[in-house]
Amino acid sequence: MAARRNNPSGIVPTIQNIVSTVDLDCVLDLKHITLHSRNSEFFPKRFSAVIMRIKDPKTTALIFASGKMVCTGAKTEAQSKLAARKFARIIQKLGFPAKFRDFRIQNIVASCDVQFTIRLEKFACTSYGAFSTYEPELFPGLIYRMKKPKLVLLIFVSGKVVITGAKKRDDFYTAFDNIYSVLAEFKK
Amino acid sequence: MADTYCPDCKRPTEVVFDHSAGDTVCSECGLVLEAHSIDETSEWRTFANESTDNDPVRVGGPSNPLLADGGLSTVISKPTGASGDFLTTSLGRWQNRGSNPDRSLIQAFKTIATMSDRLGLVATIKDRANEIYKKVEDQKPLRGRNQDAILAACLYIACRQEDKPRTVKEICSVANGATKKEIGRAKEYIVKQLEVELGQSMEMGTIHAGDFLRRFCSHLGMNNQAVKAAQEAVQKSEELDIRRSPISIAAAIIYIITQLSEDKKLLKDISLSTGVAEGTIRNSYKDLYPYAARIIPSWYAKEDDLKNLCSP
Repeated sequence: MAARRNNPSGIVPTIQNIVSTVDLDCVLDLKHITLHSRNSEFFPKRFSAVIMRIKDPKTTALIFASGKMVCTGAKTEAQSKLAARKFARIIQKLGFPAKFRDFRIQNIVASCDVQFTIRLEKFACTSYGAFSTYEPELFPGLIYRMKKPKLVLLIFVSGKVVITGAKKRDDFYTAFDNIYSVLAEFKK
Repeated sequence: MADTYCPDCKRPTEVVFDHSAGDTVCSECGLVLEAHSIDETSEWRTFANESTDNDPVRVGGPSNPLLADGGLSTVISKPTGASGDFLTTSLGRWQNRGSNPDRSLIQAFKTIATMSDRLGLVATIKDRANEIYKKVEDQKPLRGRNQDAILAACLYIACRQEDKPRTVKEICSVANGATKKEIGRAKEYIVKQLEVELGQSMEMGTIHAGDFLRRFCSHLGMNNQAVKAAQEAVQKSEELDIRRSPISIAAAIIYIITQLSEDKKLLKDISLSTGVAEGTIRNSYKDLYPYAARIIPSWYAKEDDLKNLCSP
């Protein structure tokens, strides 16, 4: 894991959710899985995947018949990998030749608080307006689509910032550093 | 004025052409050289105001540059009286069935015109909405969406670009079937498309409570004093830290101003004309109440009147 960067303000965004995917590399019989495991649900008419949950780490997995799996809810990258391995183990125990191929983290969601209120209308009107979308009628937060690194930040009047779309931890540290210096100008 | 040979003066003289009588008159001796000259410019009297039905000078509607061929068309109509002749009755039918490249466009323009009529918008906004629709029309991702939502979003964007914004709820009320969410999504998509095409020249400022205030006040029939006071209050409230949608703030300020005046409006009336829910107006009122002394102008209400304001 990369070392934690230090922002001059000392604020570090905390990760709230990590979404990852892994390929189990074998065809699965979803009905069999649902019948023989306790913590899963499967409604083919609603969605064509088994939804399985484990308690530790507290995560949810969507398991598809092709053998691909999506694991959500973990709070760190290591936990996400561990959880995905646990799910793969469950599938293995049920009798399928599951492997653990191509584990990839697809999305990391983090949030933080800049500790001051922000003037969103001013922010949207300036040169950063090209990247911002602020529609108070539709959503109370300003949607800032950063180009480098490519991710999306939701900035609220209260000063809370949600960063999403990052694939690596470093990405959102960089993004937060970039945005903090800008936001300080628009303090209310 | 020209130089022609005048028979009386026996030399070329300055000749004046009198348009009103059609006479060519020599300016020196006054001799009429030519009378009743024929005017070869276009028809003077158009008969348009006299005959209500057809104006023989015009052969179609105003040319619309947005349509593929400028709106030129020739239609075969049913002959009056005579009927039973297979060819004449079918020709009209066959022409209509033929593919018309603009048919969907014309239909869309008609819908936009109906919507803008219902809202009472000027022709500028309607034309801008037509242009926007033309730019985004018939693109694959748009096909799936509700057509009404797209047209409503075009109208919303046109209003914003002309600095006369209308709330999404107002646009919702005239767009049949489109929900606020659908219009919002369609609007995001269209804005992105326009930016791609024009290269980032889309400048739509954020909405402010003041933009809508005038219209809400006139819906409610407030008197001029109240309207002015409300506008001042809205200006001052922009500096405060109130985390509410600008429309809700406008509605709450109208509520405060009307409560202070003689002519108190019911929460229900304000809710109807602004489109803000009653509960939201009450909550916004709770947020604004502590600052009431700061935002209400002093010439409108004294301190003790403010005390009369019911505490939320």
